[in-house]
Amino acid sequence: MSLPSATLLAQSILSGVFIGALYGLLGLGLSLSWGMLRQINLAHFALAFLGAYLTHQLTAVAHWDPLLTLLVIVPAFFALGVLMQATFARFAITPFNSLLVTFGLTVIIESAIQAIWTADPRMLDSAYGHSKFKVGALYVPLPELLTLVFAIALALLTWATLRYTDLGKAMRAAAEDAKAAAAFGVDVRRLALLLSGASAAFAGVAGLCLALSFTLAPSQIYAWIGVVFAAVMIGGLGNPLGPLVAGVVIGVSESVTMAITAPAWAPLVSFSLLIAVLLARAEKI
Amino acid sequence: MKTVTRLSTAWTAAALLALAAAGPAQAATSGPPIRIGSTLSLTGPLSGTAIIHKIVGEIYVDQLNKKDGLLGRPVEWVVKDDQSKPDLARTLYEQLITVDKVDLVIGPYATPNIVSAMGVAQRYNKILVHHTMGIPSLAKYDMQFPAWSVGPNPETTVPNTVLDALATLPKPPKTVAIVTSKFPSVFLMSKGAQEVVKKRGLSEVLFLEWEFGNRDYGAIANRVKDAKPDFVWVGAIGLEGNQLLDAMKKIDYTPPLHFYMYPAPGPLAKLPEAKNALAASIFEQHPPFTNNPVAAEFVKLYNDRAAKAGLADNAVETQAAASFSTWQVLEAAIKATNGLNDKAMSDWLKKNQVDTIQGKLRFDKTNNYGDDLMRVKQIQNGQWVTVWPKEWAAPGAKILGQ
Amino acid sequence: MIRNPARTGIVIAGLALATVPLLKLPAFYESFFYLIFYWVVLATSWNILSGYSGYFSFGHGAFFGIGMYTTATLAGQFGVPFVWTLPIAAVISALFGMGLGAVVFRVGRLRGELFALITLAVTFVVATVVLNTPIDGGQGVNLGGVKLPALTGSASSTLYLLMLMMAVATVWIAHAIFRSRLGLGLFAIHDDEDVAEVLGVPTFSYKIGALGISCALAGAAGAIHAMFVSYVTVGETFSVFVPLTVVLMSVLGGTRHWLGPAVGASVITGLLYIFTAGDFAVAGRAAVGLILVVVILFMPDGLLGRFINTGRKRPSDEAPAIPTSTVPASDSALPAAAAGAAPAHALKSGAPSGEPLLMVRGLAKSFKGLRALDGVDLVVKRGEILGLVGPNGSGKSTLINVVSGHYRATAGSVAFSGQGELAGLPAHRIAHAGIARTYQIPRPFPHLTVLQNVALPAMFGRARLTAAEAEREALTWLEFTGLGVKTHALPEDLNLHQRKFLELARALAARPELLLLDEVLSGLTPGEIDGAIRTIRAIRDRGATIVFVEHVMRAVMELTDRIVVLNNGRVIAEGAPADVMARPEVVTAYLGKPHAATA
Repeated sequence: MSLPSATLLAQSILSGVFIGALYGLLGLGLSLSWGMLRQINLAHFALAFLGAYLTHQLTAVAHWDPLLTLLVIVPAFFALGVLMQATFARFAITPFNSLLVTFGLTVIIESAIQAIWTADPRMLDSAYGHSKFKVGALYVPLPELLTLVFAIALALLTWATLRYTDLGKAMRAAAEDAKAAAAFGVDVRRLALLLSGASAAFAGVAGLCLALSFTLAPSQIYAWIGVVFAAVMIGGLGNPLGPLVAGVVIGVSESVTMAITAPAWAPLVSFSLLIAVLLARAEKI
Repeated sequence: MKTVTRLSTAWTAAALLALAAAGPAQAATSGPPIRIGSTLSLTGPLSGTAIIHKIVGEIYVDQLNKKDGLLGRPVEWVVKDDQSKPDLARTLYEQLITVDKVDLVIGPYATPNIVSAMGVAQRYNKILVHHTMGIPSLAKYDMQFPAWSVGPNPETTVPNTVLDALATLPKPPKTVAIVTSKFPSVFLMSKGAQEVVKKRGLSEVLFLEWEFGNRDYGAIANRVKDAKPDFVWVGAIGLEGNQLLDAMKKIDYTPPLHFYMYPAPGPLAKLPEAKNALAASIFEQHPPFTNNPVAAEFVKLYNDRAAKAGLADNAVETQAAASFSTWQVLEAAIKATNGLNDKAMSDWLKKNQVDTIQGKLRFDKTNNYGDDLMRVKQIQNGQWVTVWPKEWAAPGAKILGQ
Repeated sequence: MIRNPARTGIVIAGLALATVPLLKLPAFYESFFYLIFYWVVLATSWNILSGYSGYFSFGHGAFFGIGMYTTATLAGQFGVPFVWTLPIAAVISALFGMGLGAVVFRVGRLRGELFALITLAVTFVVATVVLNTPIDGGQGVNLGGVKLPALTGSASSTLYLLMLMMAVATVWIAHAIFRSRLGLGLFAIHDDEDVAEVLGVPTFSYKIGALGISCALAGAAGAIHAMFVSYVTVGETFSVFVPLTVVLMSVLGGTRHWLGPAVGASVITGLLYIFTAGDFAVAGRAAVGLILVVVILFMPDGLLGRFINTGRKRPSDEAPAIPTSTVPASDSALPAAAAGAAPAHALKSGAPSGEPLLMVRGLAKSFKGLRALDGVDLVVKRGEILGLVGPNGSGKSTLINVVSGHYRATAGSVAFSGQGELAGLPAHRIAHAGIARTYQIPRPFPHLTVLQNVALPAMFGRARLTAAEAEREALTWLEFTGLGVKTHALPEDLNLHQRKFLELARALAARPELLLLDEVLSGLTPGEIDGAIRTIRAIRDRGATIVFVEHVMRAVMELTDRIVVLNNGRVIAEGAPADVMARPEVVTAYLGKPHAATA
C-alpha cells in the first residue's frame, strides 16, 4: 500500500462522487415506488437500460444530440410508468409479489432489447463523451458532470415537490395512509399514476446517463441491482435525497479503496461500511 | 403396344417428378444426417460473444451441406441454449448425448461451460473439440482437443510474444504496469505476465486487480497515470478494456504502449484513444491470413451474415477464427478416419496435424495442446492489423510505438 | 392410521424417486431432476426463515456459496474425501449464519428491508473475501480430480441420489417445522413479532434456530453442487442470481406453505428448460417472464395459496401446528354468553390474600427525551382488581408495556413474587413468569385463526402446554368469552367487540398469575360493557389478580378494589375508588385547574 498523491486521491474521490450520483439517479425512482407505492420495482433497471439503448439508437443511428433524446424518452417513459401502475392497481399486489412481477417484466424487457439490438456490447461515441473540463488539477468529464447535475436536480426537485407543494403533501399522505387521505379528498389513484410515471421518467434519464458513460449489454441490467438496492435501502425508502447521499458514500468509499489498495477489495469496504451504518442506525429505536 | 407406351410414359413422368421434387440440394448428399450437438450461451451475460460462434457454426454446416456434407451425408447441428450457466451446460450435453443421441459433440463457449461439457464427454467417451478454453491446465480429459492454439502454457508464451514484439521498437519499454480483472482465464494470463516481466528484467511499477463486474475505473486509471509506465498490460475481458480506456481518456492519459488481453475488438477499434492498442490474436481478416482461399471465402460469408444478424462488429477475428478452426479440426478427423468413431478420431488427431485458417494445428503436447499460435495485433488507423511475428504481419505493417 | 400423512408422503415420494437410477434412464433425466431437487432445497431452506418468519433474506447466495467453497477447499485443495465435506459445509454455513443472526437480530428491531440489505451486503463481503484470499484467489477451484462416493455406477446417478436425499430431508424438515411450535412461533413473528414475544415466544432463539437450519441446508446443497459443476468460480457462485431466484420460486409457489417453494422451484426450472432449444432462446426467455407476471397477478398467494389456512370453512390440515378435530364435544358444553364456567384450575393466584404480588419501584421509561414514566411506585396485591386510571398521556399504557416487557425500562425495578426481578428481561421470559396483557387496540395475528391465536399463548405462556392441550385450553377460553362459534374464523372476520374478547381470551389462555387489561372496554356499547364487567368479575372470582386500566369510570367504580391514579408518568393518588376520585388533585389532573373562583 503506497500513499497516493493528493491529486490521485482527489480525482478518485471525484470519480466516486460521479458514479455515486448515477447510483442515486438510478435509485431515485426505485426509492419512490418502494417507499410510496409499496412496490419493489425491479423493472426500473430494465427501463433504464431500455432508455439507454434508445438514446444510443437515436444518437448513433439517427444522429440526434443525446440531450434532445430526452424530449422523446421522458414523455414516453412517463406514459409507460402510468400504464404499469394502471395495470398493477387492478390487482392487489403485496411488495414481495411486486418483486416477482417486475422481475418477469425485467426478463421480458431484457429479451426484447436482445432481440432488437443483439447482445453485442455497444458503446456510444458522442461529442459529449469527448468533452471535459479541468478544475485545477482535476478533470471533470462532461458526461459524468451531466449525470451529477441530473441526479442532484431531480433529487432536489422531487424533495421540494414532496415537501412544499400541495401535490407533494397529498402524495406523502397517501403513502402513509391511503384510506385516510382518500377520506380527505385526495385522489389516491391519480397520484399513484403520477408517481409511477415520474419514476419511469427518471429511469429514462438515468438511461441517458448510462448510455453516455458505459458500454451497454442486455445482461448488464443485473450488474446494478445489488449496489443500487443498497443505496436505496440505506438512504431510506421514499426519501428522494437518500439514494443520492448513500450512493455517493458507496461510490466514494469504493473509489478511495481502489486508490489506496488493491481495487479488488473495494466491495468489501463499501459493504462493510454499509453493514456498520445499518447496525448503528438500527440501534436507536 | 399402346399400354406399354402409356406405362413407360407414366413411369418416366413419375421419375421426372420425383427428381424435380428432390431438388438440386439433395443431389450430392444422401442418407441420415450426421448430427453434431453442442450448447451455446444464447442468453445471459456470455451471449454477446456466443452469437459469433452460432453464426460461424451455421456458416460451416451450410457450406458442408452445399458440397458433399460429411462422408456423403448431410450435416445437422443441434444447438441448445445453456443460458451462460455451467450446470445447465452439463445437463444439456447429457441430453444431447443420452437422449438426442447425437453422433458427435462440439464444444460450447467459454471456459466454465467447456469444463462442464468436458466432464460429460469424458463420462461417455466422446471426443470434444472446443474453441474458447482459456485455462489449459483444466483440460485434463484425454480426448479433448483445443482448436484455439495457445499452447499448454499461454500465461508464459503469450506475454513473451508480446514483449518480443515490443523489443523491436526503437525504444523498447523498460517499466510495466499490469492491471487485470480477476476473471479466471484473464487473471491467469496476467499473473503469468507478471512472472515474465520479472524474468526479462523489466521493472513492474504497478500491479492492480479488480473484481470482474467492476463499474468504476476512475481510481485505477489514475493510479496507472501516476505510475508513469512505458507499457500497460491490461488483463481485460470484454467491456472492461473499453471502460478503462475511457476512464483514462477522461483524465487526459494515453498509455505510451498498451495491450489488452481479451477485448471486445470492434468497439475498441472504434475508440480514438485506443490508437496503437495491442491485443493477442490468432487470425485477422487481411493477408497473409486471407491468402488462404478457405479463409477468404469464410471472411466474406461471415461479414455478410454478421451484418444481417445486426452485430455491431462484422469482422472475423480470434473468436470467429477459433470457432471455424474447431469445425475444421472435426471435419479433418472425420474424413481421415472415414467414420464417426470418437476413439479413432482422437488417436488420429494426436498423431497428425490439421490445416486450419490459423495455421497448422497439432495436439501432441501437455493436455493435447500444441504450438502457441498467438500473434500480436495493433489498432492502426482505426483498424486491427497483425504486426508480429513478421511472417504473419499484414503486408508492410509493423509495430508502432509512441 | 398414519400419524403424519404429509411427512409419510414425502418419504414415500423420496423412496420412489430413488429407484429412478435403477431404470437406467439416459443421464440427462437424472441431471434434470438433480437441478430440480437442487432448487427445491435452496428455495425451501430459504423459506424456512424468510417465508415463515417474514425476515426476508437476500443472502442465501452467501450461505450456499460458503458450502460450495468449503467443499472446494477441503476436497479440491486438501484432498479431504468428499463425503466428509458435506456435514462440515453444513455446519460452517450454519455457524456463519447464526453468528450473523446473533449480531443482527439483537440490534433493536431490525425490520424487513434492513435485514434484506444486510444479508445482501454480506454476500458481497463474503464473495470479495473468497476472491482475494487463497480460498479462491481468482483462478477458480477445479474439482475434476475429486472422487464422488461410489453409491451407484455413474456420476450423474450418484449426484441425483445425493441431491434427492437433501431435497427429501429439506422438505421433511420444512413440514416438521411448519407443524411444530417453532413453526407456529415463526408465523406469529411474521404477523406481529412484538406481540409474539410478549405472549411468550422466544423470538430471538427461534429466529436464530430457523436461520441456522436454513443455512445448514443451503450449505449442504452447495457442497454437492460443487461436485456437479466441478469448476467453482466466485462469479458463478456469488452472483445475485441465486438469492433472487430462490425468492421468486418461493413467492411463486407460496411462502406460507411448506410445499410452496418446492412447487415454485419445479415450475420455474421446468419452464426455463422448455425453452432451451437454440432457435427460440431469446423469445423463450421472454415467454418465461410473461408467465411469471401473469401467474402472480392472478394468484397473489402463489400457486399453493388456495391451500393456505382456509380455516374459515373447515379445520385445515395445512394450518400450522395444531392437530385439529380431536377435541371431544363435551369440553365445549359451556353457555355461549359465558360468564360462568371457567375451569377451576386455570388461574391460580390463590385466594385473595392481600400479600404483594407485583412490586414496582422507581420505574422510569423515556423515549428520546420524553419521560413517559417518571419514577412509578406501586404494589399489586394478590387477588385484587387494581384500577389504573389517569388522563390521556399519563403513562398508563406505557406502564403496562414496560411491566409486560413490550418496552425495556429505562430505570427502576419490577419484582414479581416468587420470580424475582423482571425489569430488563426479554418479554417472553416475563410471559413465562406468569404475566399476561391485552392490547388496547387489539393486535391479533391476522393470518392465524381465532383458535390458533388463543392456543399460542397457552403453548408459550406460563402453562407451556402441548399443542393438543393448548387447543383444548383455547377452546375453553373461547367459549368463556363467547367466541366459541368463531374458532376457525380469521381475526378480520370479527367485529371490534369480538376482537377485544379475543384479546382477553388470549391473555387468559396463558394461565397467568397477573393479568393486565389495557382499556379492554373502549369502543364497546353500554350493553357490551355490562357483559364485559360480568366476565372480568368472573375471572377474578376464579383466582386471578387483575390490573385494570380504564377510562370508563362506571366500570372502574364497579369492579376495582383499589385504584391508582397516574399523571405525567407519576402516581399521584392511591386508595379506595370513591375516595380517590374525589380528591382535588385527581380532579385537577383530569379536568385542569378550574378558572372560576368557586371552591
